[in-house]
Amino acid sequence: MPIQNPNPNKKKKKHSNQDDDEDDTVQGKQQTQFEFCKVCRLNHNQGRRHIYFPNHKKALSSFLYRFQSKFKNDVAFYLKKPMPLRPEHAALNRLWCVFCDFDILEYDSSFACGNAIAHLASAEHLKGLKSFLWKYGGGMDRMDSFRISESDFTKWEKKCKLLKSEAAGGGSHGSLIGPLNDIHNESKSEYVNSFDKNKLDCLTSDVKCSNSVVPLQDHTIERSQISHSKICTVGPQILHAGTGVGLGARTPNGLPGFFGNQHYTHSVPKEGPAYSCPNDGKVYPYEGIAIGDGHSQGTSSEESRLQSLQNLTQISSSAQENGGGNVHSGAPPPWFSAAEKIQLDNKLNQGLGDLVSSLGEQMKTSKLNPKRVGAAWAERRKIELELEKRGELVRHDFGADWLPNFGRVWQSGSRKDSRKEFLGENKTWRKVDSQIEKPSQLQPYISKRMRTENTAE
Amino acid sequence: MNYLLTTLTKKQEVDSMIRDTIDKVLVLCFGRASDSIFLQLDEILYKSVREVSKFATVALVDIDSDDVQVYVKYFDITLIPSTVFFFNAHHMKMDCGSADHTKWVGTFLRKQDFLDVVEAIYRGAMKGKLIVTCPLPPDRIPKFHLLYEDV
Repeated sequence: MPIQNPNPNKKKKKHSNQDDDEDDTVQGKQQTQFEFCKVCRLNHNQGRRHIYFPNHKKALSSFLYRFQSKFKNDVAFYLKKPMPLRPEHAALNRLWCVFCDFDILEYDSSFACGNAIAHLASAEHLKGLKSFLWKYGGGMDRMDSFRISESDFTKWEKKCKLLKSEAAGGGSHGSLIGPLNDIHNESKSEYVNSFDKNKLDCLTSDVKCSNSVVPLQDHTIERSQISHSKICTVGPQILHAGTGVGLGARTPNGLPGFFGNQHYTHSVPKEGPAYSCPNDGKVYPYEGIAIGDGHSQGTSSEESRLQSLQNLTQISSSAQENGGGNVHSGAPPPWFSAAEKIQLDNKLNQGLGDLVSSLGEQMKTSKLNPKRVGAAWAERRKIELELEKRGELVRHDFGADWLPNFGRVWQSGSRKDSRKEFLGENKTWRKVDSQIEKPSQLQPYISKRMRTENTAE
Repeated sequence: MNYLLTTLTKKQEVDSMIRDTIDKVLVLCFGRASDSIFLQLDEILYKSVREVSKFATVALVDIDSDDVQVYVKYFDITLIPSTVFFFNAHHMKMDCGSADHTKWVGTFLRKQDFLDVVEAIYRGAMKGKLIVTCPLPPDRIPKFHLLYEDV
């Protein structure tokens, strides 16, 4: 393997025939085998150098960050608060251990993330983690953030045991909000419990099931209607079926102006958080709540919400312009007068044009590497050309003897020397040329024999 | 000489060419119009001029003209066609595995070879390197024997 130049910036002055006299490097060739970097997801033949490259470092930090977030949100939460794992949620609780390259499934564990916690606390995982960090250069000090220590693991196990014993004893469910009737107890409790469960699962498993839609935390329209209608039947009244015939029934509490089965588009004068579209002065009520009632048998939160809505009044739509437009249609605000608007538009357009052109220039100049070959010369020359264009600077002839920066073949020393050498050589040649002024007279060749014969004769 | 690229015959032309090509590679090919290899090189250059036009300029120099002999000697041109690369008036060297790194001797076997070479020069120059390695495999580089100094 060729030895790479350790310090390319050193100027070496060797008297050899190599041209290593300049501060430049010949790129070294690495002849290692190709290997796959799991972090950058690419094949490279750079061997151990690869892990120190900035691209790899960036990829590694994002890679570890992703795993760490899964670990924190997910596993760490369950480590502190072990929870029983229901079979239907088991499919969501998988974890891929990136260090050991293996998928941790939860089908046969009784606690959420049980298998994952067990794996992360194990010795094999530690081994895998160490080898990963060595291979991909993660920094051995961060090891503890990717594994579970034995003390934590034992604590978790104790908590799990406690939970198991509790469950065997048959503890009660969460708090029930108590309506009078048994039927309603059941129905309410179902809703309440299922909502709790959904909330928890969603919070904790959002990393896992990030593709799935998070269910609504609040009552939807239908649910609230149904629940309210059920509650309403407690009182001595008429069943509201959500949509139905407008019978003008009186509500249990005799709320003014409420007709439980009104159609949605009719303005019901309650609705504060109405999504009113000022273009047509209609008011779209926030529907399910409109049907509501202040029944004491409803849950307290719902009751208070209804109360607050009822206190708001409807804004009349009489003061709307018919063709004026509004925020939604993108029209300018009314405090801009028409004349000013035109001026503003013009200015904007000009400004944009200038901006674009100057940006283009800036982009061009800022892109060029200041370390590129001949950068200083190029900058000077550009200025010169610009001045010449403007006619300020008269073009000065750079002389017939100008020679570019050239490194000669059999040359040692810097390129300036090469020019001097050349000029020196030129002078000697000229001298040589001038000396040969008188051409020698050509004479025919006479051999020795002939000469001796001549002389003899 | 319409079938050739811009051919320079005077030193002053060559000088202005070198000095006015800013932030682009200047490819100067020295040769004789009657030489078949030079014509082949010219053919390849002609096809590629437009493609490299954003980062390179190509020009031919006729070595038979007297004005240019200074350059012929300065650049040590002994075999033709020879191509010398410049960037911002600085000479760029390329290590092709031969003894002479200062110029490219001979023609290119393919148009793509020429493009690769010019690209390598440009990349090296932009990074601030005065010498670059040739991206072509050795079988695509024309071989020649360099005459030694004292011969």
